[in-house]
Amino acid sequence: MSSAQKYEVFVDSFISKLKRRQVTGSYNVATATCRLLMRVISSGRWSSTAEFIELIRGVGTKLIEAQPREFAAGNIVRRVLAIIRDEVSETTATDMANNAPYNTSMFQLLSTTQTNKNPSNQLTKQPNQDLRSVVIQGIRELIDEIASVHENIELMTVDLIHENEVLLTPTPGSQTVLNFLLKASLKRKFTVLITESYPNDIQECHKFAEKLAKMNIETVIIPDSSVFAVMSRVGKVLIGARSVFANGGCVTAAGVATVCECAKEHRTPVFAVAGLYKFSPTYPFDRDSLIEVGNSGRVLPYEDSDLVGKCEVTNPLFDYVVPEHIDIYITNIGGFSPNFIYRIVLDNYKAEDTFGHLF
Amino acid sequence: MIPMFRTLSRGVLSNSAWWSVEFLANDEWNRRRPWLKKTDPSLTPREIMTEKIFEKNNSILFPMTTTPFDIKKTYLRFLEEDPEITMPVAAIESLVTMLRIKQPSTSSELINLLSDATTHLKTSIPNAISLSAGCDLFTRFVLRNTHLYSDWESCRTHLVENGQLFLQRAKESREMIAQVGLKFIRDDDTVLVHSYSRVVLHLLVHAKKKFVRFRVFVTESKVENDANEGIKMANALREEGIPVCLINDSQVGYVLNKVDKVFMGAEGVSESGGIINRMGSYQIGVLAKNAQKPLYVVSESHKFVRMFPLAPDDLPVPPEGALNFSLDTTKGFNAYHHVDFTPHQYITALISDLGVLTPSAVSEELIKMWYG
Repeated sequence: MSSAQKYEVFVDSFISKLKRRQVTGSYNVATATCRLLMRVISSGRWSSTAEFIELIRGVGTKLIEAQPREFAAGNIVRRVLAIIRDEVSETTATDMANNAPYNTSMFQLLSTTQTNKNPSNQLTKQPNQDLRSVVIQGIRELIDEIASVHENIELMTVDLIHENEVLLTPTPGSQTVLNFLLKASLKRKFTVLITESYPNDIQECHKFAEKLAKMNIETVIIPDSSVFAVMSRVGKVLIGARSVFANGGCVTAAGVATVCECAKEHRTPVFAVAGLYKFSPTYPFDRDSLIEVGNSGRVLPYEDSDLVGKCEVTNPLFDYVVPEHIDIYITNIGGFSPNFIYRIVLDNYKAEDTFGHLF
Repeated sequence: MIPMFRTLSRGVLSNSAWWSVEFLANDEWNRRRPWLKKTDPSLTPREIMTEKIFEKNNSILFPMTTTPFDIKKTYLRFLEEDPEITMPVAAIESLVTMLRIKQPSTSSELINLLSDATTHLKTSIPNAISLSAGCDLFTRFVLRNTHLYSDWESCRTHLVENGQLFLQRAKESREMIAQVGLKFIRDDDTVLVHSYSRVVLHLLVHAKKKFVRFRVFVTESKVENDANEGIKMANALREEGIPVCLINDSQVGYVLNKVDKVFMGAEGVSESGGIINRMGSYQIGVLAKNAQKPLYVVSESHKFVRMFPLAPDDLPVPPEGALNFSLDTTKGFNAYHHVDFTPHQYITALISDLGVLTPSAVSEELIKMWYG
């Protein structure tokens, strides 16, 4: 029992950090979740793999409930669950050998071999230690993968950016976009337009511009209102996604949906960059619930007492971009059309963890 | 006891009465289709005797038993007897029944038998899109999986023995869809549904059971004067306590600004992810797209069919069903076309037992089935 309490302490402290937004942003949340799961797994106790899976699911549910808009936490938990399930199915591979390997789920209707819901029950004899070390190794690889996302995305810059091109980026808060552009500047000469991103990312915008300017990239900051005016001269729009959904839509910084709409109007290609850990198998059922509303004091400072309380001020932090408005997703495993995202999701997560009662 | 049951079931009672006997066990189910059987190897000599006696009597009462096996009649019978069964599953069931009776002894005989039967079914039933999905799935399954069994004989036995299981799974998939689709219906939603669809009905009823508060517009879906599927849907929903507004097919554009999302079932889902569904679906799809309302298709995965219609009218036309122009003032409506095609760009997502799919995921499933 003491061991159970031991990991619950870490989990609870991480949950409060998530709730207080001490950990924010997909990258930070993803790495922190990996570390947390590693500690949970090294101190947790279980007698069967089913129990182990249940333990991780339990932690995952708590994390998702703590901050449902930080999709990275849920994604990492699902990835880890997939690692465990793969490990389990590998060891039972001999038992499953007589199960016909149906290549499409459509044949499920006609097969007799029922998909075994918890094959892990037969596995109680398997030493815990073995599975533990394998899963921890898997999580280490996951952390490495997350850390190397930028490098892999940067590899594609040469193919995507041309000489003397004008790029527009409405997400100066994105590290991935920044690294992408910095890397591209080594091989190509181009201009970057950055939207001001008032009111939430205005400081990030200035820092972003500074970093680009240091690399001798021609950088222009434009107000958000002039996006449509400049769009006719823009060659490509580059956006950083916060999380990407199974239908190919994504959540990103506020104002980006407008930019994508303008780009569509001018037939300007929109590139979205995102690491694999941002791909969520969930479906954006209710768009309002995806969008977080922030401090309205940033729009109308509270010192402005004349207006405070007399009018309503909202400050949404995110935007949902529909899949039709994005031409390509550039990820650390390659470039994909939004139509193909469902496949990436199917490859990385198990169906049990997508539509279960927990998630 | 069993022979007595047979007396009741085969001779005296009317069809509908003995079909309502619900407590039949799995192997009893085999006996429920006596006109389809030659001899059952598991029967004792005495039972075979009784079987023969009843066969004689039945030739008077049941003329069908004497006629050779007819796949079309079997198919129609399945559809008639179980209102919950879908067309593809009825087709699969008829093929299973055929295998049970014909008992082909070689693989090539099996393949010929299957292809003859499917061609016969597809040509003899006027609207064969949905059933061809079932036929294709079944044929493909048999051909792909015979090598996994030690001999194809055991494959046949497996298929014949598990007919009931397929039916049950097909019905379970509707339950799966309801669970997957539940999140699509939120409190205060106004939903538009087109025509009668069992799977859409199931989903809406499930949502109602989970205490989601929503309202439904149902289109009348008038094709012929007698078949009024929309009214059937509206009544079914009202009986479940879901507030319904029944509208004319021509009223869709008028109400659409009040609608949050559109749901429709499908008879078949084509390779491109577009759907073949009751007449009127396409126009609703176009209107929904224009009004930026999401259109969700609710369909079981066994309805995915390998077709690639390019235009709304690019479907097999019923023999009498060409669009005729005439000067005859006594002529009424052109009512022969029952289905139309809605291309994939009008569809937001497909809610199926495989999860929420984008239209391109459908083509992948079909490609895996045929070329994988």
